Amino acid sequence: MSPPDLELQLRRIITRGRVLVSPAQLAGYAADGLGYKNYPPDAVVIPADAEELAHFMRCAAGLGVPVCLRGAGTSLSGGPVAAQGGVIVHTSGLRSVRTVCPEGFWCEVECGVALNALDDVLKPHGLFYPPDPSSGPVCTLGGNIATNAGGAHCFRYGVTSNYVLGVEVVLLDGRVRRFGGPAGGRGPWREDWKRFMIGSEGTLGAFTRFWLRLLPLPEKVWTFRATYPDLRTVEAAIHALVAHASFPAAIELLDPRGVAMVESSQMACGLPKGSFMLLTEIDGPGVLVDARVSAVAEILRGAGSNDVVFSDEEAMRQKLWKARKAAGGLLGQLSPDYVVQDAVIPKRALAEVLQLVYDESDAAGLRAVNVFHAGDGNLHPNFLFDSRVPGELEKVELISKRLMQRVVEVGGTLSGEHGIGNDKAAYMPMIFGPDEIRLQLAVPAVFNPTHQLNPLKVFTGRRFAA
Amino acid sequence: MNVATVPTPTRAFAPFLDEIDGTLCVPAESSAADIRDQIGEHPLRFPLILDLHATLEEQVAASAFAPASSRFGPYCDNIMGMNWQLPTGQIVRIGERVVKSTTGYDWFRFLLPTGRRFGQPLDYVIRLRPDCGTTGIFLMNGGAENVARSAGLLLRNSWMHWLDAVDVVALGARRTLRVTVHCPTAEWDIFATYLGAFAAKQGLALEVQPDTAMPADGCPDVVFKTAPEQVHALAGELARTAGVRCVALCYHGVVHAYLPESAERPALVRALVQPHIAGLHALGGDWHSRHLAPPAPSNEEAGWIAILEQAFPLP
Ligand SMILES: Cc1cc2nc3c(=O)[nH]c(=O)nc-3n(C[C@H](O)[C@H](O)[C@H](O)COP(=O)(O)OP(=O)(O)OC[C@H]3O[C@@H](n4cnc5c(N)ncnc54)[C@H](O)[C@@H]3O)c2cc1C
Repeated sequence: MSPPDLELQLRRIITRGRVLVSPAQLAGYAADGLGYKNYPPDAVVIPADAEELAHFMRCAAGLGVPVCLRGAGTSLSGGPVAAQGGVIVHTSGLRSVRTVCPEGFWCEVECGVALNALDDVLKPHGLFYPPDPSSGPVCTLGGNIATNAGGAHCFRYGVTSNYVLGVEVVLLDGRVRRFGGPAGGRGPWREDWKRFMIGSEGTLGAFTRFWLRLLPLPEKVWTFRATYPDLRTVEAAIHALVAHASFPAAIELLDPRGVAMVESSQMACGLPKGSFMLLTEIDGPGVLVDARVSAVAEILRGAGSNDVVFSDEEAMRQKLWKARKAAGGLLGQLSPDYVVQDAVIPKRALAEVLQLVYDESDAAGLRAVNVFHAGDGNLHPNFLFDSRVPGELEKVELISKRLMQRVVEVGGTLSGEHGIGNDKAAYMPMIFGPDEIRLQLAVPAVFNPTHQLNPLKVFTGRRFAA
Repeated sequence: MNVATVPTPTRAFAPFLDEIDGTLCVPAESSAADIRDQIGEHPLRFPLILDLHATLEEQVAASAFAPASSRFGPYCDNIMGMNWQLPTGQIVRIGERVVKSTTGYDWFRFLLPTGRRFGQPLDYVIRLRPDCGTTGIFLMNGGAENVARSAGLLLRNSWMHWLDAVDVVALGARRTLRVTVHCPTAEWDIFATYLGAFAAKQGLALEVQPDTAMPADGCPDVVFKTAPEQVHALAGELARTAGVRCVALCYHGVVHAYLPESAERPALVRALVQPHIAGLHALGGDWHSRHLAPPAPSNEEAGWIAILEQAFPLP
């Protein structure tokens, strides 16, 4: 379909929302949080509400072009981009928190609600929604559920899939189906189809509404920061924390290259040069967590740190988190481009796999910064590079491939929370053999057999043929 | 089926215990005692035990939840992977041995509660938790309304994260709020003081069973999944039926119903369930009984299932 024809059709379908077609408008939708790969869409639509989104989906087959759902576009795996061209559906029109049921510990939200906006609504009820990706101020619940997002506190609280009670989804022909609801069961279906929806990266349908499980806010939080001279000692600290009866809510790690990055920036907070910084948090009723403080501090010291700071005061806690929070933002300033991997490994292999990252990146002359969810074994090596320099991206891709191979060998998996998108799709045969790939592809065969929704994502062979 | 005779794919899980991650791969026919044996001296435990004698596969098939789900979530958040035998005999690895994954479509959580409709589990990779020292049960007796209100109060504050289970046991007009605590021995007094004061304030008669095992009520005859704010009304109504004992897992809105031993059990289940089906479905809830086959899927769903089944590889 020629661009003017497409625009005409879209304007007929989307009458209350917006249709964007100018190159300047489309440029903002060409990439996601990764930034270095650009796929300008042919058009963007912003439906006014769920009804208009459903109407668009009903008409989508007739358009004959790929369709890609997009929340805030903060994905770090090449998920919400028009990899095969076509139309991006931006969900910013669906931003309502429809119900909070404090007695039932659930809420009903639309897909375009920003994560932190939901928490603002829940706080007065003494409740919270635990998954906490660092992109919380902007990322949407639609994106979170489509990527099964995690975050720093998922070590104890678990990831998005643990909290989704129900999903309302618009299928490609416009049928609206509800899987689950406030009760979190199957509803009238024999099987639990919402399980396929969560983490499906926009390849099965357009999510419009969710029912989410909530928890009461912890009464008190203690934050601990400790630094370690080497991998061996920090690994020992992580292993001891994971097994401890205080069940830390978060166990986060910033490696010496991350520490150096923070310390040479305006966000410097006096961390020792060359150290690994471990951040952990315990929470619960005051009387209980206060009784646990000295034991946690002792674990951190016992593993080899002589620099343990902890506090239950909000201002001080924010200071302790400062380096960890600053690291993400600084990466973008340090280097024109970066790729972040998201592998999860058994924690006994932590030191070994990190060493591999250092060895490989040093040998290739690339910088790698590690800032990650150590309690879950969820690595985030950030490879810094310049895509304008010939050969640099290829080097990163080669290192990433070797890393993933090792991850799979030690019993790990490719993605813990960012999803596969098109950035990691080429690694999928490392995890899935031919039989398992056939099973995997059976799922889009049910809901999106032509791959019109988000083609070239998750599996490279998912190409839309109009 | 003789598992030894079918070829094992390269990525299938082999038996292991990872005491650092707290993960264990066990045969699906393992009982609670088998799991304890495998854990051995390591200070770890698997808290989601419904029934001391049933196999893990039977427990998972009987209900998606156990009392300790209040703290640790349903079975699908405490089992991470499995070796699964498809109806064709082929064994595939489903899921992971690590605690989080967004690597492809979640066949694991889809298959886990399906019983043997799409094949069967051979081995599970389960998530263990630190064994902190001691387990105790606090039984608080009172009127139905008071017990329901008290359960709500207990769940709506930050102690709930540290209570293994907050259940209401209902039989006829009798109600007991049953709170299970698992904590370091040194912290027992902190919990006992808090829960003692709580029971007194709510006017509930307290009986404490220190140093005991997690409650294992057995595999339920029927499971109802509703929204948590409906759970007491539903359990109350079911418990009025002669001889039906209910355990409401309050936070998740689950009612486990136990029926008297009888040849008429399937008919009794149908009678018990029928009045509630529409209400449960409206809330996105469901019911399930190990004594009855699930209702047939709608035409639309049958079509979806047929597509999935086409992907099962031929032997
Ligand atoms: C600074 C920074 C920090 C981050 N930290 C974390 C972290 O700690 N943990 C973590 O898990 N992630 C993190 N991320 C990654 C990212 O924020 C998450 O993946 C997030 O869930 C994406 O949400 P989004 O609204 O931006 O979705 P998008 O990026 O717009 O989309 C992500 C995927 O969801 C699909 N999608 C979006 N909306 C819908 C819908 N309504 N229906 C169907 N499919 C839909 C898209 O097609 C795409 O495949 C971080 C990213 C950045 C930039």
